Amino acid sequence: MKKLAFLFLILLATAPTQAAVPVQKIEAMLDKPKVLCGRFEQSKQLAGMKKPLASSGRFCVVSGKGVLWRTLQPFASTLRLTRNEIVNFQGDRVAVRLDAQQEPTVRMINSVLFSMLAGDLSQLDKLFDVDGAIEGNGWHVVLKAREPALAKAIGAISLSGDNYVRGIKIDEAGGDRTTISFSGLQSGEQAMQPEEAALF
Amino acid sequence: MNAVPKMRTWLALAWGLVVCLLLATDGYLWLGKHIAPDTDILALLPTEERDPVLQQAFGHMVDAAQQRLVIVIGAPEWNDAKRAADAYNAVLARHGDLFQPQSAATEVQSDWLAQWSRHSLVLMTPAAQAQLRQQPADYWVEAARGRLYNPFSGPKLGAWRDDPFGLFGDWLQERAKETPVRPRDGTLFVSDGKKQYVVLPLTLKAPAFSIAAQESVLPALREADAAARTQFGAVEILKAGVILHAAAAGEQAADEVSTIGVGSLFGVILLMWASFRSLRPICLILLSIGVGFLGAFIVCWGLFGRIHLLTLVFGASLIGVAQDYGIYFLCSRLRAAQEVDSFALLKRIMPGLLLTLLTTVIGYMGLALTPFPGLRQMALFSAFGLIFAWLTVAAWFPFIVGKKAMQSGALVRGYGALLARWPRLSTRPASYVVGLLFLAFALAGCLRLGVNDDIRLLQNPSQQLVKDQIAIGRLLDSPTPVQFFLVRGATAEVVLQHEERLTARLDGLIGQHRLGGYQALSNWVPSLQTQQARRALVEDKLLRDGAALSKLGGELDEEKDWPAVTRAHLLESSALLTPDEFLASSASEPWRFLWLDHAGSSVAGIVALRGMDNTGAALVRQAGIDIDGVQWVDKVADISSVLGKYRAYMGWVVLISYAAVFLLLYPRYRIDTWRVLAPAAVASIATLALFGLCGQNLQLFHVLALMLLLGVGVDYGIFMQEHPGRKDLTPWLATGLSAASTILSFGLLGLSHTPALQAFGLTMLAGTALVWLLVPCFGREGA
Repeated sequence: MKKLAFLFLILLATAPTQAAVPVQKIEAMLDKPKVLCGRFEQSKQLAGMKKPLASSGRFCVVSGKGVLWRTLQPFASTLRLTRNEIVNFQGDRVAVRLDAQQEPTVRMINSVLFSMLAGDLSQLDKLFDVDGAIEGNGWHVVLKAREPALAKAIGAISLSGDNYVRGIKIDEAGGDRTTISFSGLQSGEQAMQPEEAALF
Repeated sequence: MNAVPKMRTWLALAWGLVVCLLLATDGYLWLGKHIAPDTDILALLPTEERDPVLQQAFGHMVDAAQQRLVIVIGAPEWNDAKRAADAYNAVLARHGDLFQPQSAATEVQSDWLAQWSRHSLVLMTPAAQAQLRQQPADYWVEAARGRLYNPFSGPKLGAWRDDPFGLFGDWLQERAKETPVRPRDGTLFVSDGKKQYVVLPLTLKAPAFSIAAQESVLPALREADAAARTQFGAVEILKAGVILHAAAAGEQAADEVSTIGVGSLFGVILLMWASFRSLRPICLILLSIGVGFLGAFIVCWGLFGRIHLLTLVFGASLIGVAQDYGIYFLCSRLRAAQEVDSFALLKRIMPGLLLTLLTTVIGYMGLALTPFPGLRQMALFSAFGLIFAWLTVAAWFPFIVGKKAMQSGALVRGYGALLARWPRLSTRPASYVVGLLFLAFALAGCLRLGVNDDIRLLQNPSQQLVKDQIAIGRLLDSPTPVQFFLVRGATAEVVLQHEERLTARLDGLIGQHRLGGYQALSNWVPSLQTQQARRALVEDKLLRDGAALSKLGGELDEEKDWPAVTRAHLLESSALLTPDEFLASSASEPWRFLWLDHAGSSVAGIVALRGMDNTGAALVRQAGIDIDGVQWVDKVADISSVLGKYRAYMGWVVLISYAAVFLLLYPRYRIDTWRVLAPAAVASIATLALFGLCGQNLQLFHVLALMLLLGVGVDYGIFMQEHPGRKDLTPWLATGLSAASTILSFGLLGLSHTPALQAFGLTMLAGTALVWLLVPCFGREGA
């Protein structure tokens, strides 16, 4: 997580331009619920490793609050991103806490991750070149950081979905690849489980 | 005019030639060469004979700081701040000859991270090093696994396998914390939680202390301010930079020169008019002062090649003394019998006139012997100003002022009558009572007198600038340029090792919140010793067969050779980093000021400190006390202690001057010499006692004023002794006119907003008034 924070130091260096036409069209397809929760399956193919590493869990995106990302398998680990901090719980123990006071870019990191999960493409458009396509009910976009240094470090991110974001793929320049897919998406207050609500 | 001695005519003509030369030279300097006085307050301080490394270190810190100008533009919303900053920048870009913008792009090189790739295995935080020693392998397995599954490890410094345990990432994160400023949208960004700020670091192209730079930079900044406000009305614009202080101080001093100079002249003119009912005496006195001022200026310029604004301010006060000669001559003329011609009159008063000059110049010579270049300049300026004014009186006045030239006004008659009723010191009991009372008062006052030599007393910075500076310091968390550690050693490795011993202690103080942080090259380039120890630790605790890496391989169910392959991959980035390599890289650009490699034969590093209050500073200083090669540098305290030393030193100069003046006067006044000196001495003591009772602290500038008071007081004493008894009103008149105009000029100096000048002015105000009142009391019984 800290690595990620640092990387964002060299991020965010671009001027917003007019959004391309597909972005607005895709935005129109997306629902923007106040609360969105669901399951995720994550698969990582890391450089130098033969086997992909699978993990799964639940996530919630609450507008105005932030993101809760609960890895349940193969071991429990929770990541909470709010406006002013990033906290990583290992079980009940706080493993890492990074607040905006210490690291001014925390807010921007959180806003980008929130936008990715919530499909807020116009927000992402400020930092990334968004190249999108629409196929029937679904859509697909490739994000490429406008800042060359950042683009080189994170490689390409692609999102796909319909009325929600259904999948994220990250191809890093270092050779690591991450694929995340979402299922069982629910919106509205009742989508959150009590222990999740307690964490926010 | 037949009676005029030939010699006198020649002298007057020769002096006329000199004055013409002075006029021509001054005209050439001011109008032809457009010379401007210095405003750098530090130029007034002694150039100490210090070791060159320390000087260079201070130069590094201060020169860098001096040419820097930081503008911080804030608004609640980033976009507003950014728009305002863009408008601000657009204006500055038009003034490319003044500013060198420091672009965010140079700080964020795309290969910034690549520079570390060969060394990432040996770069880690001290905390991580401690954990490596303490934590078991399982801890590291868990840490690596946590990072492995971390959902958004997407954007990171490299592949997971380049830094599986996150040690290098943590190290970089710690380095990033050395400044809260971050690149954003092609510019620099900082936030205090409430507002978003754009930071514009600028470097001045012209020296901060040059008046020309100040005159062009300030309007450009004002123009930029206005442009920013058109974009966002409520924008907050903070500025910090030495040039702003220099400009404000220069403006203030220039203001005061004109206020004090003009006020003083106006007062004197009014006074003369009331005394003589004619403009002629005023013109004459102005003539003598003018020649003195111009002459002094030329001599100073010739000797020093420059002149300080404060010298001119001090020079403005010269009016107080330079007038004495003219006034003495004019008052003598006024009171002298009509048949005595002016040449005879000059001859008659010459001994007294000469003594008044000599005693004052002797005083200033004492001042010229101090090692303060500023004081030397002021002393020479004053001494030569007086000599030139005196020569003008001696060479020209008898020609200009004829037998019947002078007429006394009503003020003179009324004031003259006062003398007859003035108390006189005698052997009557009342005198003893007064003497005893004075002694009690002097003792009570002087015992309460404290001292304060703080350098900050020399300046009175604008409150707004100070507020801005504090706000910016808090936002940017920048290190202080005046207090730091200088770390020396025979080789770079030794310096880095010393630095590490020091920073280990500083880390403890950071933990106790006594210190915000520090900047040191050893943060970026640990000593080879430390790097080797860390590499050994990593190999032993993480990479070795059976350690964390191979356990992790087992847990992830990877191929048998995975730990060995990964270990080999990691060891590729275990090359040791040297200071030379780091300093040659672009990443080191903001940190190069921390390293002094060409300071003589040895190498030295600076450990800069930030977020430290006064009590913190005392503790921080302690931290370095017994480490080899580590030296605490505190420029503020150093300069203050120098000021203190010279305050004491000047005190002795004053006392010695009294003795010298006594010896000089003794051949002429014999047993009555004490009567000449007593008024000045008593007035000085009374002034000090007064300050003691008012709670004023003694500083160098009070003592300097006492020096001048000696010159003034002795003049009056000489007038009185030259005309003993109370029948001749000449001395009383001369004293009154001179003292009143001295008080007028120095009273205005007491209004100065520069604390040093104010101290000087108040001392002169009280002292001169007292001398005036006391002088008749010490007069001899009429002859």
